[in-house]
Amino acid sequence: MKPDISLRKLLAFLKRDLLINASYRAAFLFDLISILSSVVTFFFIAKLFGGKAAEHLADYGGDYFSFVLIGIAFSGYMSAAMGSFTEAISEEQAYGTLEAIVLSPTKISTVLICSSIWKFIFTSFRVIVYLFLGWLFFDLNLSRANLSSSLIILALTIISFSALGILSASFTLIFKRGDPLNWLFYGASRLLGGVYFPIAVLPIGLQKISFFLPLTYCLEAVRKSLILGSSVKEILPQILSLVFFSALFFPLSIFSFKSALKKAQKNGSLLYS
Amino acid sequence: MNVLTQLWGSDKVKNMLEVHNISKRFFLPKPLFSPFQKNKEILALDQVSFKLNPGRILALLGPNGAGKTTLLKILSTLILPDQGTAKILGYDLITQSQSLKSRIGLVFSEEKGFYWRLSGRQNLEFFGILYNLSPARIKEKTRYLSNLLEIDDLDKPFQNYSSGMKQRLSLLRCLLSEPEIIFMDEPTSRLDPAGALNFRKFIKEKLVRELGKTVFFTTHQISEAESLADEIAIMDKGRIKAFGKPDEIKIKYGLNKDSTLEELYLKTINEENEA
Repeated sequence: MKPDISLRKLLAFLKRDLLINASYRAAFLFDLISILSSVVTFFFIAKLFGGKAAEHLADYGGDYFSFVLIGIAFSGYMSAAMGSFTEAISEEQAYGTLEAIVLSPTKISTVLICSSIWKFIFTSFRVIVYLFLGWLFFDLNLSRANLSSSLIILALTIISFSALGILSASFTLIFKRGDPLNWLFYGASRLLGGVYFPIAVLPIGLQKISFFLPLTYCLEAVRKSLILGSSVKEILPQILSLVFFSALFFPLSIFSFKSALKKAQKNGSLLYS
Repeated sequence: MNVLTQLWGSDKVKNMLEVHNISKRFFLPKPLFSPFQKNKEILALDQVSFKLNPGRILALLGPNGAGKTTLLKILSTLILPDQGTAKILGYDLITQSQSLKSRIGLVFSEEKGFYWRLSGRQNLEFFGILYNLSPARIKEKTRYLSNLLEIDDLDKPFQNYSSGMKQRLSLLRCLLSEPEIIFMDEPTSRLDPAGALNFRKFIKEKLVRELGKTVFFTTHQISEAESLADEIAIMDKGRIKAFGKPDEIKIKYGLNKDSTLEELYLKTINEENEA
């Protein structure tokens, strides 16, 4: 099942996704409006709390608006990675194009990977819009940002979440709907991964659960590198944790996807949603 | 000399398609409130075997649920059989399916299978790349095949094409990769009588006689099988009941050569029921 990805195939998938998404202009506009509305909402929530939240946010520069904006923006990578592989299969099933794709000599693993790239590019665009709006209108201060450590964390985050996303796609191949993994990791990460508040405010039992979520380490490190300008050395514990998650989940996800694909081809359910 | 001519002249591939004892069962889900009940199973294909020579047209006839589409999907590598195997162009269907994929084509019966928001050309460019064709080759072949298939406007969104044009685009996509054997699932089911007639003429005169392709299609229409096919397979309840040239099968079933294919079909299908 080794993917046969070439630059030409990757670009073909990107072009396809760009053209399809560009044909839904209203959806793009509403997405931008929802980003703006989310930024404004959290700006006023931050204003309401003012310095009261500062004691819990000392490790992140003390400003709630910067904390939450980065949390919301970067947790988008988790949604993209967890959902993109599953969506790649279910959208092709819905379009009825999966048969035509499976019929071609391009491997399904290549289709899966190439179909997810657009989601990551679009998520990156959303992150830039979030940060740009925060900087332009609401005094978001990223003057100390360390770009290289942020990019390393971002790459590791995408890899570790993609492994979970592929694992999740295996469930979709077999059960079609009701993927427990996505529900478990996505739900728990949004609540306990430190998107809206630092995990230090959680009861100790819940804090322990958050240590098992890759998002916790991603947000911790990306906040430190963007707000405080932390170097790679300073965020090494988070980097190693994400490497550990990737090493644990990637082989498992590849094995489960191979098994699920074989089963779906055997029972003839690959092509139906 | 094209690949087919090379193969035809050699001993490498005597049969374009050799199917050996293919069986396939599907399991129906258990009723929600009967967890201890066994899964019901449907025997979709029951030890299907036959051979087809290059450059021939085979029509697979049969009632709904006979197993025609399942057989077509197995032979086009979309689903795996439970038992048996097949050799297509000398490639093993199960162990060499990846190499086989660029040499076979499937024309779908439904309007699905294309991205409706993209134009015909954009769809063809995308699928061409999945078949490892270069952009220049896709462009060149699209121009040639669109002329051949009389598709005039490739730049409008797929959703705006008529059913007939969608079917021609499906055939054009299939021909992009120069398959040597083409499977078609009820190719004229959505076409008006004139469109169906033209499509059949194209298959027989251009695809098979001129380009030397082998065609295997399923149909409900006996007249279509009669006008198009060199050989006929009649399938019912997952089994091939009759296979061969129409005249030969008629004699085998005790009919004379002047009998219609409809009489043969009914006799074949009803034989087991009467017994």
